[in-house]
Amino acid sequence: MPATLRWLGRRLILAAFVVFGAATAAFAAMNLMPGDPVLTILGSTNPTPALIAQVRSDLGYDEPFAVRYAEFLGRLVHGDLGQSYQLREPVTEVITGQLLPTAELALTAFVLALAVAAVLAVTTAGRRPAVRRVVSALELLTTSSPGFWIGILLLTFLSFRIHLFPAAGGDGVNGLVLPAITLALGMTGVFSQVLRAGLERALEEPYALTARARGTGETAVRTRHALRHALIPVLTLSGWALGTLLSGAVVVETVFGRRGIGRVMATAVIGRDVPTVTGVVIVSAVFFTLINILVDGLYRVIDPRLRQEKA
Amino acid sequence: MTLVETAAKATAAPSRAAFRPPPAATLVAGLALALIGVAFLWPGLIAPHSPDVADPVNALLPPGGGHLFGTDQLGRDTFSRVIYGTRPSLTIGIGATALAALAGSLLGVLALAGGRVLDEAIMRVTDVFLAFPGLLLALLVVAVLGPGTTNATLALAASATPGFVRLARAQALVVRRSDYVRAAVILGRPRAAIVLRHILPNALPPLLVLALVNVGTAIIAGSSLSFLGLGPQAPTPEWGAMLSDGRDFLSTAWHLAVFPGLAVTVTVFAINIVGRSLQVRFEGRTPGAGL
Amino acid sequence: MHNHTAGSVIALCAVLLAGTAACSSSDGDSKTATGKPVSGGTLTYALTQEPDCLDPAVSPMQATAIVNRNIFDSLVSLDSDGKFHPALAEKWAVSPDGTTYTFTLKKGVVFHDGTPFDATAVKATLDHVVDPKTKSYYAASLISVYRGAKVVDASTVEVKIAAPTAPFLQALSTAYLGIQSPKALTRDAAQQCQSPVGTGPFQVSAWEKKSSIKLTRNPAYAWAPPTAGHTGPALLDGLTFQFIPENSARLGALTSGQVNGVDGVQPADVAQVKGSGSLQLLRADSPGTAYSLYLNAKKAPFSDEKVRIAFQRSLNLDVLIKSVYFGQYARAWSPLSPTTLGYDPSTVGTWAYDPTLSNKLLDEAGWATRDSEGYRTKDGKRLSLYWPYTPLFATDSRTILGQGIQADAKKVGIDLKYTSVDVGQLQKDVLTGASDLYSTSYVRAEPDILRFFFASDQTADKGGGNAFHFSAPDVDGWLKAATGSSDDAVRKTNYANVQKYVLEHALVVPTYVPSYLAGVSKKVHDVKFDPSAYPVFYDAWLEH
Repeated sequence: MPATLRWLGRRLILAAFVVFGAATAAFAAMNLMPGDPVLTILGSTNPTPALIAQVRSDLGYDEPFAVRYAEFLGRLVHGDLGQSYQLREPVTEVITGQLLPTAELALTAFVLALAVAAVLAVTTAGRRPAVRRVVSALELLTTSSPGFWIGILLLTFLSFRIHLFPAAGGDGVNGLVLPAITLALGMTGVFSQVLRAGLERALEEPYALTARARGTGETAVRTRHALRHALIPVLTLSGWALGTLLSGAVVVETVFGRRGIGRVMATAVIGRDVPTVTGVVIVSAVFFTLINILVDGLYRVIDPRLRQEKA
Repeated sequence: MTLVETAAKATAAPSRAAFRPPPAATLVAGLALALIGVAFLWPGLIAPHSPDVADPVNALLPPGGGHLFGTDQLGRDTFSRVIYGTRPSLTIGIGATALAALAGSLLGVLALAGGRVLDEAIMRVTDVFLAFPGLLLALLVVAVLGPGTTNATLALAASATPGFVRLARAQALVVRRSDYVRAAVILGRPRAAIVLRHILPNALPPLLVLALVNVGTAIIAGSSLSFLGLGPQAPTPEWGAMLSDGRDFLSTAWHLAVFPGLAVTVTVFAINIVGRSLQVRFEGRTPGAGL
Repeated sequence: MHNHTAGSVIALCAVLLAGTAACSSSDGDSKTATGKPVSGGTLTYALTQEPDCLDPAVSPMQATAIVNRNIFDSLVSLDSDGKFHPALAEKWAVSPDGTTYTFTLKKGVVFHDGTPFDATAVKATLDHVVDPKTKSYYAASLISVYRGAKVVDASTVEVKIAAPTAPFLQALSTAYLGIQSPKALTRDAAQQCQSPVGTGPFQVSAWEKKSSIKLTRNPAYAWAPPTAGHTGPALLDGLTFQFIPENSARLGALTSGQVNGVDGVQPADVAQVKGSGSLQLLRADSPGTAYSLYLNAKKAPFSDEKVRIAFQRSLNLDVLIKSVYFGQYARAWSPLSPTTLGYDPSTVGTWAYDPTLSNKLLDEAGWATRDSEGYRTKDGKRLSLYWPYTPLFATDSRTILGQGIQADAKKVGIDLKYTSVDVGQLQKDVLTGASDLYSTSYVRAEPDILRFFFASDQTADKGGGNAFHFSAPDVDGWLKAATGSSDDAVRKTNYANVQKYVLEHALVVPTYVPSYLAGVSKKVHDVKFDPSAYPVFYDAWLEH
């Protein structure tokens, strides 16, 4: 498939450009920051002039801008994102060390959102307007609520009042339930809307009609035939979901005191630990770009018409 | 993906199954928005107390009696703080959306009208900024500029602008291909005049609807930033910041956790309902509104 | 000489609490309740903050001191009466001129990595602390008078200091100056931070970032200081510190039994902990300075003493502290907290709430007109004061207290700009004198902390705590006399003079006395506090 290969090559070059641009923007941000980063690094202590000078030369802040930019890019190519101001360890290590709990939380939330959305869509697609309307209004309500509030409410009433779930820590399934629900809630509404739209389209397609004519039960038609097709548009939301999950994790991990990239990010922004912030941002930009290429690629596989079009 | 595109996906994509609010709901939502507008402009008309007069002797009173929503950890009236909090809480979301819509529309139309090189430059930079998913660009901007109302607004505006740029360009493209613009080109009208007289006004309505939908998302994002301590400073009664302040007292004073969050939800819900209704109306007329 | 009392008088359970179990640090209570201490089990204790680096020479954090007290022994130990006892040093002598300390070291002590403890280790540790490459944020400032050590023989070391310094032994007794394995010190900084090596009752086994530090018992431990409750290895098999910065989540972890203990119990939650049948509250008032606001007298409007006094007297701290801290923290009258040696009790009541006086003084100072928002003005300029703070360090509901102070000041027409900034900005605002107020508290079991905040040579740009370049020859004289003397009475008189002076001239507004509030399960016994009011787990044991 030379057309697909050409397409992939083009996309990858574009992606490389985008990531390079993102990294440059991040570097610019780091250096635009008003104030002396060395003082920020030294934190609440009262640093002696000797200590300030030592830290400045260790971090290379006494070198000219261009040199630092070149060094920044050079390090980036080797996967080195610099040193965190607050945590005093390499940003790469911070991210790899915190990736797992966030991935666990995000994946659980994603699966939960998709599952609930599928159930909602299958049971309400094409049904009486009254039912649909109530469900739709609920979906809109969940997308109108800030995640941190939902989290606080769940904590207040399910953890503090009736001790149904642990209030802190990420150990075990029990500790995952409330954060995952909080993170999933807003996404569920969007997924179920998209799924229902797809389902309603699919239920009018010939194959659905044929299946019904063959005597397949309505539930089977919906879950076995129509749902599969309806899931395709959800695919396009993957990139958006990644962004939502990451931004959501910042708040949810803070509320529930969970460890993970989100909490690192929240603390880093408050403390203006710019290397950590840019590190997380660059890494997520890379992930995001790759996911978008993957989604477009899958679409080309699924829908052959796209292959003919010029990318 | 930016807030705008999210909003677009969430609202425009499933246009057939989308929630069409019944007229009664739209009316109620509209009335709620009017009331919120009053609280925004003249909070003193509704609030019985001053938002920042502390009365430590009467701290953490439960709702009821002289205090509809109870009092906070310094004995301030929570209801009055929620009312006075309307302006600071909505300013970030509305300001950010307005800035983003304005800057985005101008850049989008400029990209299309300004020739190949400019188009390429604007769109590639937009691509770069679109590569920061979700709130991350906003967080980066706040990390650089520091917390505060202005900086949080700028941060959210920066993260929403690229979406508006793309949308505006797409809209302008649709309009440019329309017959009346072609006619104007054939008639030899000056380029600037065409852009100003024809393209901009016709590309605008769908942008405005999307801006309205984006306001809700931006308000939530703004209160999230405040919740993280990145928004307006004490003693400003911003809703997200109030929730954050109240967190230490959840086991003793549940009301501190409930009301500010409820205020955000009610506001955004009302905006979304009105936004949907407007969108449903517009969709009939402008083919490009659904992206 | 070696038993002079340079330290603090720590009052455990300083505020009497209802019920006997609330005060577990007294041996009698827990033992009569449950019998003999038993060995075994792992205690999990949740801390508010995570250490940034476990090398005691590097990190200034309270969390580091709490964790490190279990990993490291010091040369000397300080008891709750302010007396020094042998620890890793068997005995010590001070030269007549007060500048040479000769320590005779215990024999048979071994580091966790098998290196024997000797004079080389002491020299290596102290040299490591003051080495600029170590980038010490705190420990080096504690021994800034250190001028080198000489290894006389394997068990004798001579330590030179620049001038007679009474607080030197107190500094050596802290965990920040715990003695480290000289072999481990040759590793790179990252390894040093991750797994430092000491001689203490516990050793580091794992540190999972953002989650926990796991310590295991040092089975060879046989050199506990006499200040401890038993000898031999620690009773616990393991000690795990978890990090839960969210106050409500941390308390939830305690009430749901996920952890055996937590620190940073919020005053609002004290009633809940005490009311629970399975939990107990432990508390110790922190020595050092109260949480105080330091006023910038170098710059208008606080250059006018009348304005400073007006501000000081406008705050209804009795009511505010009681309300914000639910009666759990004491209102402070002196910058020195009451459990610190040299605290002057005669400061109580000397600057009571008096808004009438505030208003009168402000009128006299020329701030007689008011603008539309009720703030005072002079020549069209509003009476605004800039008070930056960093939310990351604003523990203890300090932002709420700050808003309360802001509201009180507003009542007399002062516009207090209480502004959240990041640490770098805060440093800059203080270093450049842009801010009018600076607020902090400082834990140190030594009145020498007054020198850190008020001596003219301890300005912030030199690494001191004198943020606003305050300088008064009288104060410098008293501080010098107090530091150089080993006579407690002389020290007390001089430190009392300093406290009176800074309060009378309204250079500082003390607010409350911080306390270390811990909630632990009733199955946990014999958690004690060191003189800095940090918990010590060497004697602790778990009921099975």
